[in-house]
Amino acid sequence: MSTAIEVIDVSKAFTIRHNRNNSLKSQVIGIFHKRFREERETLWALREVTFDIRPGEALGLIGRNGSGKSTLLKIIAGIYPPTSGEVRLSNPRVGTMIELGVGFHPELTGEENIYLGASIYGLNRKEIDKIYSEVVAFSELDNFMDMSVKNYSSGMQARLGFALAVNLDPDILLVDEVLAVGDESFQRKCMARMEQFRSAGKTIVFVSHSPDDVRRICDRACVLDFGSAVFLGKTDEAIDRYHALLLGNHS
Amino acid sequence: MRSVFRYRELIRNLVLKDLKLKYRDSTFGFLWSLANPILVISVYSFVFGHLIRVSVERFPYFLMIGILAWNFFAQSLMMSTGSVLDNGNLIRKVAVPMEVFPVATVLFNLAQYLLALIVLFPLAFIFFGVLPSWSWLAFFPILALHVLFTLGACFVVATATVFYRDVRHFTEILLMLLFWLTPIIYDIRSITPALQSVIYLNPISFFTLGYQNALYYNAFPSFQEGAVLTILAVLMIVMGYLPFVRLKTRFAEEV
Repeated sequence: MSTAIEVIDVSKAFTIRHNRNNSLKSQVIGIFHKRFREERETLWALREVTFDIRPGEALGLIGRNGSGKSTLLKIIAGIYPPTSGEVRLSNPRVGTMIELGVGFHPELTGEENIYLGASIYGLNRKEIDKIYSEVVAFSELDNFMDMSVKNYSSGMQARLGFALAVNLDPDILLVDEVLAVGDESFQRKCMARMEQFRSAGKTIVFVSHSPDDVRRICDRACVLDFGSAVFLGKTDEAIDRYHALLLGNHS
Repeated sequence: MRSVFRYRELIRNLVLKDLKLKYRDSTFGFLWSLANPILVISVYSFVFGHLIRVSVERFPYFLMIGILAWNFFAQSLMMSTGSVLDNGNLIRKVAVPMEVFPVATVLFNLAQYLLALIVLFPLAFIFFGVLPSWSWLAFFPILALHVLFTLGACFVVATATVFYRDVRHFTEILLMLLFWLTPIIYDIRSITPALQSVIYLNPISFFTLGYQNALYYNAFPSFQEGAVLTILAVLMIVMGYLPFVRLKTRFAEEV
């Protein structure tokens, strides 16, 4: 059986630096004065997470704040290297929608950002010319293309970002909690697009706090807690498990 | 490094972004980039040509060669202290080959350098009767090596700044020191041999001398001069690129 994404024993440690020393001076002082020394603490954001995703499957990642969902997404996207373990992708064409925007530059206009943003994914000019009108149409921002992105509302930024990400025609789409900012009609449009995506045999990893969205998009879901995958299976069961975790936290 | 070629569209867009942002909403646009070297050349010409009396013929033209080349190197280096950091919002969201950022920085400054040359050479012709000679062809290989050398230095600085923010300030001071240790506003032939050997400890001097030989003294570089420049460029690129490659996977977490 072929897999689109293989996550194998992935762990990720972050070094938390208390009174962070990013300057040479404070590091030198730290040698002599214990009080100024940087204290390092290792935080395991992910612990030996393993799962496979098949092509055409949508996997939801759910969990409480700080459970490691976004870190895992960034490792799959290749933004962070895992501390141990590895991620194998069947196809390198990955579209990411992580936080707002694809990394838009606030001073550039919408149009310039589409060109810059798409070239970040390795597209050349002709390819961008081809998708440009679709991106604009999907984002419904035709009248704002010559305006600096810094003047966009957060909803507009999310629309432009999502429009760009889906029109890059990636084989794997990683979506992190971006639908929360768009209005309802845009959210519906995004959901419809993702369903269309999935039926076209493409793979989605979807991070969300909204059980309804996860239920609608995902066949399976993985519940993360303190960096460990505590459950992997049917979406409904995963959501029940997640709710149980939330309740457990309150009691 | 192959990814640099694959991502040439991104590099182009990054260079265009910097050019656009630099001149957006300013009335005189690119002319500002010329104002700085022209003013510096004028002031130094007056101070060192008339007050202190450096005896170099066509002194402003001599200065122009050294200062434009220096500006290319120094401005690339200063800008590359932020070339990875300032693109943090990109690096944290998309997997992107980090090489493109220093490369774009150097290309941006190369564009500025070439534009300044294109504008100032006619001025040198008008005011000082400077005419082209065959030796000017040597400018292009020297420039190519200078670009490589600068890129290597930019890799060092870009990497180091991610981990130590002091590098920005340190680079600024180092550049100021190096400026005076480079034969830009004085002719190396006019100083004592003891001082000359100090100047030769500064690798940037060799590039400045190469430019001066080709464009000012109208002499082709000797084999040794060419070899020295090649060795310096290769050494710098290796010294800069190897640590960059080792550490670049950590950039997204550190910026």
